This record gives sequence, C-alpha cells and structure tokens, in this order.
Amino acid sequence: MENIIEVKSLAKVFGNQPALEDVNFNVKKGETFGFLGPSGSGKTTTIKILTGQLLQTSGEAEVFGVKNSAINNGSYRRRIGVLSDNSGLYQRLSIEDNLKLYCDLYDVSKQRMEEVLELVNLGNEKKKIVSKLSKGMTQRVLLARTLLHEPELLFLDEPTSALDPANSKQIHEGLRRLNEKGTTIFLTTHDMSEAETLCNRVAFLNKGKIQLLDEPKALRRQFADGSLTVELKNGQFVTLPGGAEGAEEVYKYMSNNEVESIHSNEPTLGDIFVEITGRELV
Amino acid sequence: MILSWKRIYAIFQKDMKDLSKNLFVSSIIILPIMMAFLYGAMGEATIDLHYMIINLTLASVTAFIQCAVIAEEKEKHTLRGLMLSPASVAEILGGKSLVSFILTVVTLVVCMMITGYEPSNMLIIVVALVVSMLFYLALGTILGLLSRTVVEASVIILPVIFLFGFGSMLMLLVEKVPALSFIEYLPNIQLIEIAYDVEAGLGFGDVWVNLVVLLAWAVVATLATAFVYKKKEMD
Repeated sequence: MENIIEVKSLAKVFGNQPALEDVNFNVKKGETFGFLGPSGSGKTTTIKILTGQLLQTSGEAEVFGVKNSAINNGSYRRRIGVLSDNSGLYQRLSIEDNLKLYCDLYDVSKQRMEEVLELVNLGNEKKKIVSKLSKGMTQRVLLARTLLHEPELLFLDEPTSALDPANSKQIHEGLRRLNEKGTTIFLTTHDMSEAETLCNRVAFLNKGKIQLLDEPKALRRQFADGSLTVELKNGQFVTLPGGAEGAEEVYKYMSNNEVESIHSNEPTLGDIFVEITGRELV
Repeated sequence: MILSWKRIYAIFQKDMKDLSKNLFVSSIIILPIMMAFLYGAMGEATIDLHYMIINLTLASVTAFIQCAVIAEEKEKHTLRGLMLSPASVAEILGGKSLVSFILTVVTLVVCMMITGYEPSNMLIIVVALVVSMLFYLALGTILGLLSRTVVEASVIILPVIFLFGFGSMLMLLVEKVPALSFIEYLPNIQLIEIAYDVEAGLGFGDVWVNLVVLLAWAVVATLATAFVYKKKEMD
C-alpha cells in the first residue's frame, strides 16, 4: 500500500536538548496511525515537522511524497487537516462565523459546515459565541474546522483530551467513518483505549525515540504472559499459568462445572508502555 | 501569483466583525478625531497642524490597528490556522490590511472634514497618503508579528506613534543638531513636504523625489514584513 508519510532517521534538537532521535516510521494510505507517548516525548514536535511548521535538525520526512520543507504551499495544505494543542478560534465570533471563514478559505459549501457541526454534535449550538463555550465544546469546534474540507490526511494531536466519554465516543465514530471513506489519520494520544479503538498501528514514543511499533493486537499478544483468569460460579477469580499446568487446572474446574468464564490475560497498551519505558503515559 | 479575492474578502469580513466587538483596539480611531475637533475649534489650521493629525492617524489607526489585530491572531493561536490553510501570505496580510486601510481612510476623511483641509491638488495628496499607508501597514504588521500579545503590541507601538505621529516637532531639533538630519527623510516629514509643495502650486514633476522616498520606505517595509512573516511561519 502507498505510503502517505515516510520518516527516516528524523532528529530534532532544541538548543542542546534532543527532542527527537533517529525516528523512523511510515504511515500507509487509509491507515489510522497512533503516536503514543507522555507529555514532552516529541509527539507535537513530530506533527509540526510533518506539517511544515518546524524544520528537523537531520533526517528526512515526506508527506504525499513531498519533502516537509516544501509542504507549506496551498495545494498541499488543502490535502491536510491539523488539530493541535495550539489551534485557536476567534473568541468574539460565533461558532458559525468561525467556520464560515474556513468554508471560504477552503472553498467549501455551507452545507458541509452543517454536516461537520452535526458530526461533532454542535448542530444546534452554531450561534453561540466561542468565548462562552466549555473547553470540550471548543475542542469540538476545532475538530469540526479541521474536518471541514475533508482532508486526505488528518493530523490530530490529542483530539478528545478535553471531551467527556459521550462526546469522545461520538468523535471516535466520526473518525472511524472518515477513515472508512479513505482518510488517513495520524493521531497522538495519551488515551490507550482511544488508540486501541481507532488505530491500525501504534508507535510508542519515549524521550524522542520510538520504542515499539506494531498493531495493538500484535503488541498485546507479544507481551502477554500466557496466563488465564478463570471466573468461577462462586464469584472467585483464579489466575492460572499458561501451558500444561494451567490446562490441567482449567480441565479440573470445567469437569466440576465450576467455570463461569475464562479470559486470556493480555496486557493493555498502557501496561506495555510502562513495561518498555518505565514511565506512565501521562 | 494568483490572489483569491474570495479568501481576502473572507479574512476582511471576519476581521471587520471581530474588530467591531473589540473596543480596546477599535476605539483608537477616536484619538485623531478628538484632536481634529480640538485643533479645528482653534481657528484656521496650518499645514503643520493638518499633518500632525494626518500623521497621527497613520501611526495610531493604520499601524496600531494592524499591529494589534496581527498580535491578537498570534496570542490566540488563530494565525497558525490561517497559515495552515490554503490562503497565501499575500491573501492573509491583504485581508487583514484591508480593514486597517478602510478604517484609516474613514478616519482621515472625517478628520480632514473637521479641520477643513482641502488640498490644492487632491490627486498628489491621495497618492502620497496611499503610499504612506502601505508603509504604516507593513510597519504595523512587523510589530504585530514580533509581539506576543495585544498588550505587548499596544506598548511596542508607542514609539511609532511618538516618532511618526508627532515627528514634525522633531524637525525643530534638526536645526540644532545636524546629526539628526536623517529625520527629514522619515515618511511623515516627506508627507508634510509634499503637502507644502502642493499648496505652493507644484505638481507631480516637482514632488516625485519625495514620492520616491515614500515609496522606498513602503517597499523596504513590505520586504521586511515578508521576511518576518516567513520566519514566523516556522516555529
């Protein structure tokens, strides 16, 4: 499958402080790629480099087969959408006025504006002044603005960080639908369940280096210890080792008709991150 | 380079709406109008007096409004959104400058009506004022790009208002300190010289040197704006 993003030996140093070191990855067309890491691990720096807002110290980064240094031109900007922690809105204007500006900048119909407002559950709020909105609503307006021109490639930096579970779920559904239509998504998040729900592949970034990169399922299997948890009918939970010893025990419980349910013990992405880096994903 | 009028107009419209709700910035137009009333009431105004108000308008309305709206875009992280959109540098700055330009024209017309300034050759004065406005727009844009907040912008603009708004008073110093003779080439002083020449009945053929000096200020400031903008496009 065609690579939309290709990054080779990417490094960025701020003063004497390395922010990224020898970062290598690619993002395939139509993929949702998760970049996971704690604050200060280099996620936003990577997005800024890929979107032409920052130049790397060394290495290569290409988006749509074009070097990132050349992406700062109208025709490429039209193909990407960026939602980052430093995206802002015009506080004195209404949601509608904010989006109308971008409709004109991207030559998008007002009908499309209504569609994205519905997608982020703000269809009835468009007359509200932005300064009166909650943090979660502001985040949804920013997301609507990012989706307005139906970009081929979306860069989302913590898109649901300020949202409640219900709105997060709705946004996840919207992003999934976009991805099904062919939009490639580059997502950074702290939220492991978000990564598991949305991402085809994830990369663990820690102190500017990629520590692991694979499909979430494959990572969980790779780090699983093979143990099982058996829930018994009396309400007890029993953890059993994998292999013959565990099989014998399971057989015993099953023979006695004591088993309510059996689960394989796979670690979460958060557990794996802690195991690999010794750091929590905060 | 093809400019999209739709994008320029969209930015202009947004800025107009935003500015109408931002009294901290838009109320600056009251300053030259009040001065025009004050000096207008004192009897027949001289060229120096007319141009004190005109230069003050250019420094406070044109440069300050431009500086403040750009600084606010930076402060609220909205400039980044525009930079990442298909709008080009010229379209973004064109749309934003149009607001300051129109407010300046309205303020100048009101002030000139109050003080009763009727130039002998309106065309030359209009050309000189438009070229001056280009300089002040570029200056305001540079200062806005260099400011981090609107409050910082309102401080950084003060020397500009002093130097260009009341700069004609500095001419008194030139006579005493010859080293300050460069002041004669400042755009505000050039504008006054053009006005005197126009009142003396001179035409384009006689004031072209002053117009070229004004134009040089505008071109240098515009190039500097493009340079600073490109720098700020990158983090």
